[in-house]
Amino acid sequence: MSYLVVTDAAKQFGPSFMALNGVSLSVERGEFFTLLGPSGCGKTTLLRAIAGFNDLTSGEITLDGSNLRVVPPHQRDIGMVFQDYAVFPHLSVFDNVAFGLKPRKVPAAQIKTRVTQALEAVRLGAMAERLPAAMSGGQQQRIGLARAMVINPRLLLMDEPLSNLDAKLRIELREEIRDIQKQVDIATIYVTHDQEEALAISDRICVMNSGKIEQIGTPQEIYGNPQTRFVAEFVGTLNIFQPGAALDAMLGKLGLAHAGAATWAVRPEHLDLAGPDSDGNGSATLPGTVSKYTYLGREAHVQVETPAGRLVVQLPNPGMAATREAGEAVSVLVPRTAPMSFSANGARMGG
Amino acid sequence: MAMPRFNFWTVVMILTWVLLFVLLFIPVGSVLISSLYDQSGNFTFANYLKFLGEPRFRQAFLNTLVVGFGGLFGALLLGSIMAFCVSRFAIRGGRFVSLLAILALVSPPFIGAYSWIVLFGAGGVVRGFLRDLGISMPPIYGVGGILIVFSLKFYPYVYLMVSGALSNVNRSLEEAAEGLGLTPLQRTFRISFPMVFPALTASGLLALIHAIADFGTPRLLGRGYNVLATEAFTLYSAEVGSNMSMATTISVVLIVVSMVFVLLQRYMSRRNVYHGNMINKPARIQLKGWRNVLAHFAVYFIGLCGALPVIISVIYSFRKTSGPVFQQGFALQSYERILFNLGDVVRNSLTFSFVAVALIVMIGTVVGVLVARRTNLNTALLDGAFMVPYVMPGIVIGIAFIAAFNTGPIVLTGTAAIIILSIFIRRLPYTVRTTASSLRQISPSMEEAAISLGYSPFQAFLRITVPLIVPGIIAGGMLSFVTAINELSSSLVLYVGSTMTMPVRIYLLILDGDFGVAAALSTILLLLSGCAVYIAFRFMGRNEQALL
Ligand SMILES: Nc1ncnc2c1ncn2[C@@H]1O[C@H](COP(=O)(O)OP(=O)(O)O)[C@@H](O)[C@H]1O
Ligand SMILES: [Mg+2]
Repeated sequence: MSYLVVTDAAKQFGPSFMALNGVSLSVERGEFFTLLGPSGCGKTTLLRAIAGFNDLTSGEITLDGSNLRVVPPHQRDIGMVFQDYAVFPHLSVFDNVAFGLKPRKVPAAQIKTRVTQALEAVRLGAMAERLPAAMSGGQQQRIGLARAMVINPRLLLMDEPLSNLDAKLRIELREEIRDIQKQVDIATIYVTHDQEEALAISDRICVMNSGKIEQIGTPQEIYGNPQTRFVAEFVGTLNIFQPGAALDAMLGKLGLAHAGAATWAVRPEHLDLAGPDSDGNGSATLPGTVSKYTYLGREAHVQVETPAGRLVVQLPNPGMAATREAGEAVSVLVPRTAPMSFSANGARMGG
Repeated sequence: MAMPRFNFWTVVMILTWVLLFVLLFIPVGSVLISSLYDQSGNFTFANYLKFLGEPRFRQAFLNTLVVGFGGLFGALLLGSIMAFCVSRFAIRGGRFVSLLAILALVSPPFIGAYSWIVLFGAGGVVRGFLRDLGISMPPIYGVGGILIVFSLKFYPYVYLMVSGALSNVNRSLEEAAEGLGLTPLQRTFRISFPMVFPALTASGLLALIHAIADFGTPRLLGRGYNVLATEAFTLYSAEVGSNMSMATTISVVLIVVSMVFVLLQRYMSRRNVYHGNMINKPARIQLKGWRNVLAHFAVYFIGLCGALPVIISVIYSFRKTSGPVFQQGFALQSYERILFNLGDVVRNSLTFSFVAVALIVMIGTVVGVLVARRTNLNTALLDGAFMVPYVMPGIVIGIAFIAAFNTGPIVLTGTAAIIILSIFIRRLPYTVRTTASSLRQISPSMEEAAISLGYSPFQAFLRITVPLIVPGIIAGGMLSFVTAINELSSSLVLYVGSTMTMPVRIYLLILDGDFGVAAALSTILLLLSGCAVYIAFRFMGRNEQALL
């Protein structure tokens, strides 16, 4: 049996609103598990149910085989890292980290070594005696991390711990979190609405949407093989083909057909551009005109108006020669493996 | 999560309502009822008709509005000038200026009135000096004098609030307006003015309410200029023909007037909630030449005039006296007389204030936690109910307590308890509010972090939240102490010989013309207030706005 198991979790707010609606998932020992979804989809609600800060309306949560819902939050032994850091401003960095060891009756000498170790791990060893108030957001979150880790909790929960930091620090700190988690080997549930962060950091990702699970899988599965249209659009970007003769002709040429497919879509990075008269060389071609060219350094986005709708083509490592002018005639190359189809209710077909 | 504290908080909620009921609703209800019955116990509107019909009361009503709005505009004028100069120009000794404002704010009430009489009254020092120079000026008595005193006494409200707001106006906004081609004057009126408008109305309201409620100043300076507060007191305290039902009628009118202005102010500033951001704070300009001189003159003139009563009473407290008459030279006679004759008055003041503040802090904190943490209809109502004492002039509280606790199940008249409770109920809302708002500023995740680390909810509250709010609570308690020890008007209604307090004694001394002892008592009062303010600032940082 898995380490943490959530079965059919439901949480109702008010008379009819369901913040969680039949959520089931399981997390393995030592796993880095991420809840990913747009704001308001119920991630925090689920996390707080596991932490014990709000109870579920119905459903089960077990940790290591025993029912967690009957345990009061302060006896659950679950470490938590907060979006707003929740560092205690009246305690020094050292005392913040030592705070959770006191109720565990750890001897003073051991407190000292464990706290020092934890602070070293988050690279705050030199700041132990300082008060956190004047420290930067990144440093405060490091305190929060050390404080949650040092108690060797059975589970570590992090609710958007990096979303208040600036972009560069976010990337730096997420790598650190990932490394530390692997070292201490504590099962971790990490909440984020940032798909790139989720892909970079997780062993497995659970994509949520309005209180329900869309898909659970490794980053490769989530990105490369999305099981719903929602996942495909939320993780990465998606071109949706406009239905009509041009789309049918293209699918015919590629020999693709899915009975009942309501939507066909393709990722920008799976498309390529060629001259207006290209035969495609195995790919289908869609003639079109460039309407916008956006240079982003590592890549460029070319927006092309085609008979099958407006498509964005992503070109890697664009040199000077790759620049396209608006109005230029081009062909968009669609390889056979690129298009994905979804049924009317958003489920992936033939994936 | 199960609520282990559920029962405790339900009990607190019930006790709070009981407290409000006994100390607020019953007194206010008694006032209302008393105003609606005649001496022989029949229901009647006669008192209100009499209020409308008798020219004397109509005049008092009109005069109240005059001193209220006069005080409002005077305070707005002085306070805005000072706030504008201090927050926009480089003024030397800015901290000293703020200190002068604090002095004016915490100076014992009506001592201002008397000091102005000493300087500009019939036998005033300055007037005499000017007369020797051949300049004659009218004595300060009457409405003009009241307005001068009110303006100088209440300008700190405006100064402190508006300068706070002005220094939060984002400079980018003004720069943007400059970019759009607005002249400095246009910028001030179109950009800065709307941003400080809420502070202006809120501080103006404070000035207005205090001016309407003030009893000592019109009493000492008015010379026949009657206002509602003095009328109510006269009707209540007249040895012959004391008219309680007329006094309560006037009290009701006073409550209604205050209430109307509070609501009006809320209505006026309903849309004007600006959250300044601190990124681009306005810079202070270094003025040059005569402008610089003018700005400094304005600031120091207002500040010194406001603090003048304090300075005068400190000086006069050390003057040599013979009986009530001042002699040449300095001596400690006035203090000796306090030491030997008035020790119990000082002791009363200290005891009452300490007890009241202890109650305020304990009960106010618990209720503040209740209001902040258990938000539901009940607590919203509670929050609203706490507005009531805020708009009750001290005289009215005094009369209401007499009306409620003179007979009936709870008799408290003549006790120390009634004075302590009257102070308690007036200041309780302040503590409840500050506790609730400081709790709301502490992120709930702070306690949750402690819980996740293994502390029970109650322990988490004790170890995390309490240490964070305690400095604020101590500071608030100290500021309550300042209000408590300076309270005159309700104590004047409620005191008996054995429960006399320092402000009451000072008032009586001034009426007796014994200004030396009055000045010495005032100086002691000022010293106590000063210590309390100092401790408060030590605990929460120098924050003049908290004094309001
Ligand atoms: N205490 C509450 N009362 C009512 N609605 C709530 C409460 N907490 C959360 N919600 C609602 O539940 C939904 C999910 O919230 P949340 O779990 O915080 O979303 P997320 O963390 O994914 O952004 C939101 O629509 C939110 O408004
Ligand atoms: Mg959330």
